Amino acid sequence: MKFVDEFRDAELGRAVAAEILSLVEPGRHYKFMEVCGGHTHSIYKYGVDDLLPANVELVHGPGCPVCVIPMGRVDDGIALAHADGVIFTCFGDMMRVPGSAGSLLDAKAAGADVRMVYSPLDALRIAKQNPGREVVFFAIGFETTAPSTALTLKRARAERVENFSCMCSHVTIVPPLKALLESPDLRLDGFIGPGHVSTIVGARPFEFIPADYGKPVVIAGFEPLDILQAITMILRQLEAGRCAVENQYTRVVPYEGNLRALQVMAEVFELRPHFEWRGLGFISHSGLKLSEAYADLDAERRFSVPGVRVADPKACQCGEVLKGVIKPWECKVFGTACTPERPIGTCMVSSEGACAAYYNFGRFAREREVV
Amino acid sequence: MTDCDSDHCITCGDDGVPMTVLAVDIERGLALCSDAEGAHHTVETALVDPVITGAALLVHAGTAIASLQER
Repeated sequence: MKFVDEFRDAELGRAVAAEILSLVEPGRHYKFMEVCGGHTHSIYKYGVDDLLPANVELVHGPGCPVCVIPMGRVDDGIALAHADGVIFTCFGDMMRVPGSAGSLLDAKAAGADVRMVYSPLDALRIAKQNPGREVVFFAIGFETTAPSTALTLKRARAERVENFSCMCSHVTIVPPLKALLESPDLRLDGFIGPGHVSTIVGARPFEFIPADYGKPVVIAGFEPLDILQAITMILRQLEAGRCAVENQYTRVVPYEGNLRALQVMAEVFELRPHFEWRGLGFISHSGLKLSEAYADLDAERRFSVPGVRVADPKACQCGEVLKGVIKPWECKVFGTACTPERPIGTCMVSSEGACAAYYNFGRFAREREVV
Repeated sequence: MTDCDSDHCITCGDDGVPMTVLAVDIERGLALCSDAEGAHHTVETALVDPVITGAALLVHAGTAIASLQER
């Protein structure tokens, strides 16, 4: 398909990899964070890291929305799913995320009416088909997904679908990046910026990274050639002794973002004072809730939720993985107690989670190296 | 259950799927689109410019978030 195949060209990939090799200084170790889980997935799936010199290290960031949902939030969703008359809808990956006493999938097995949807619009359709039931949509995701939820809530309002509400757990990308940059655990040389979040928010919100922290950012697409080219662009900045926000993904990302999406988000959402992230703790102004104008569609106001904070399991090191402090295979339970079939931590649930991506693809390459 | 062995984690994340517009319903703000595997999807088009048949869109969670441009 156009816009896909040409960015998977192996010969071009080898040429860009050779260019990367020519740009690195032999005695220097480079550490770049790919912010987005979609990049992590592509890196392992296509073996992008196999094409990089040994002194270029990719660190996986916090950009998988499933992976950053804390256990207490899952418990809140499960409590809603068990409420009388409720049909609880959520994206597929979210169903397997463990709460303190099981997942939404377990709740479904125990009798709760939990249904997987592919989009918020699917959830609204279920509400229209079931006027005698309350339909709750568990909204997760970064700025990429939030406009879709916002448009659906506007449709619900316009079409007077009164049995539809939303448990909003949308998050924003900039605050956790600031938290990571302030973290003493981590030394980074540059960022591969999130391509599809940037489709919505544009490149401007990332300008603080070069301005305040002196690190290059290159917003990148998700095909293997996109990622390799982004690494080349970061290396060129470092070689020239400069840092800026650059956009590799120009076929999709306008510098100013999608103004219509930003407008609809501003209408429907407002920032929470603080929101808990798995592994990163509470971060100010990092989560979205429904604005006062849409308060009647807020499931957390319509129903009672426990709202209890739950500590992560001791064995789970998702926090360190999300901060890029350890690699997935360095976690004590990786691939043994924690697998995609029976995940303990959220990073093993979604295919965009660093642990699941590595388990499904990367470990085979590593096994070859070890041998 | 969603199939996470495919190219995309289709239901979440910072993920977008390129699709081609097959038909447009201007009144409802929807388009019928086809993905790379030929599967058909109904897509919300409120966030992108008026779309035409044959156009390429980037779709996330049932919503077109960008028109794909050659640059």
